[in-house]
Amino acid sequence: MYALKMSGVSFVYEGAEGHALDDISVSIDEGEFVTVLGANGAGKTTLAMLSNGLIPHAIKGTLEGSVKVFGYDISKHTVAQLSTLVGMVFQEPESQLFCMSVEEEVAFGPENLAIPRDELFKRVEWALDLVGLKGLNERSPATLSGGQKQRLAIAAALAMRPKMLVLDEPAYALDPVGRIELYALLRSLTEKHGMAVLLMDRDSENILEFSDKVVLMNSGRILTVAPPSEILRDIRNFRAIRVPPPQIFEIASLLNSRLTGVDFSFTTLDEAEAELLSRVPSLPRRGDTR
Amino acid sequence: MKGVFDLYTARDTFLHRLDPRVKILAVLFLSLLGFIMTNLIPLFTLLCFIILLLYLTRSTFSKAYFALKFVLRLMVLITVLWPLFDQSGTPVLAALGPIKITEPAIWRGLTSAIRIGCLATVWYILMFTTTQRDLVRALVKMGLRYDFGLALAISLRFIPTFGFTIESIKDAQRARGLEFDKGSIIRRSKNYIAVLIPAVVYALRTAETLSLSLQSRAYGARKDRTYMREIRMRSSDLVSLVIVVLLFAIPAVAKFVFGAAI
Repeated sequence: MYALKMSGVSFVYEGAEGHALDDISVSIDEGEFVTVLGANGAGKTTLAMLSNGLIPHAIKGTLEGSVKVFGYDISKHTVAQLSTLVGMVFQEPESQLFCMSVEEEVAFGPENLAIPRDELFKRVEWALDLVGLKGLNERSPATLSGGQKQRLAIAAALAMRPKMLVLDEPAYALDPVGRIELYALLRSLTEKHGMAVLLMDRDSENILEFSDKVVLMNSGRILTVAPPSEILRDIRNFRAIRVPPPQIFEIASLLNSRLTGVDFSFTTLDEAEAELLSRVPSLPRRGDTR
Repeated sequence: MKGVFDLYTARDTFLHRLDPRVKILAVLFLSLLGFIMTNLIPLFTLLCFIILLLYLTRSTFSKAYFALKFVLRLMVLITVLWPLFDQSGTPVLAALGPIKITEPAIWRGLTSAIRIGCLATVWYILMFTTTQRDLVRALVKMGLRYDFGLALAISLRFIPTFGFTIESIKDAQRARGLEFDKGSIIRRSKNYIAVLIPAVVYALRTAETLSLSLQSRAYGARKDRTYMREIRMRSSDLVSLVIVVLLFAIPAVAKFVFGAAI
């Protein structure tokens, strides 16, 4: 079964002129890690909010086409009903954490579903352990670091025991190390817990390592859907969506276009070193400096 | 900065461990006691008792000072101003044109100042020893609707956040050359518009995400919501509750039933 299936979806926000989404068709398998790349205004947030029914239930507009999560039509189920299928994490960590302690934050969702108390404790411990915030139960969310806040927002979504996690630019305010930690956490959710992850992002740097599938979006339309290795074969697509491609691919592409007789295909720093050194044999070596 | 927003000081005292409902009731009863007492000596005793409790909260000196500074100023102000407006009674101690200072007015001023002191200080005992979270939990447990409790908790939670936001907006505007401490009062208030507008926009955006986030986590899905943490009345809490009730009931009965002058 598909975790998410959108067919012919268009959406216009109430009072807005243009389409936020224009004839989108995309599907995500269970346990799949999908990254949606696009610049501001590409329609990423709209796509995210459709996946748990916030559109059309909380945000009004004209919706065409069908959106199904695990077979359930989002327009026929409430956001609360869908919340046990789809966990949502927003961009701003500050405004989605509203409780006075970490523990309450995680328990909030399941409490609303009237989960019994002993099960609440289990879920909170489980979710905090998963995101690496174990032992911070009593801390105030406001005192956590940026990365910890985003992890807490993820734990709060996980405590609902969803089968898919949707994140709208969660790494936006994080430093590079924090980003990689976050992506690694999401990757482990797909691998160890079979969850589907739909990640909205405008940072392409780590897609090869973490994503199963990449969706390139621009102005409410989908440009390409493919595995990252395929997407990265031709980085011109990245220019079209106004998102910089991973730098290592940009260098390879630049060298290939400037030099004749080479076809660099490195994808990591190590590969780049090996390929480049083999191509410049005439210069003396300093020995291993790395 | 934080101390201004949250008066709670983490300590392990009897008052900290007390059921927040008992504390709320105690504060209410002590306030009522301040209202029904009209004589200086009983009120002064009450004030001493409240200050003793405040001492027992083991709060930091800076917080206690911050809290009491305001109360003390208020008390001094009342003591000084009272005789100027209340000119009844004799003997007259001093007279200057239409203004005369009478001895009973001075006593009445002092009494009122102490009463205000009691009423204002007693709440700090609650604030120093109870986390905002427990306060809200207690209110919900005492019958406040959960949505109101949540709204209150969220407001308390976001006060510091907005405080910091306003500070950073002010810094940003200062960096652009806006001076908040110069010029006439009108000029200065106008300058604050440059802080107010971004702050309101920020607040609205936060509120929107907040509402989406609440909905995404099944807020309001069922009437019979469960709670992970519940406050429970222990036997020591019950004993304290009885003491609090007696502390209020004995003077009240003495005054209203037996006509004691307190």
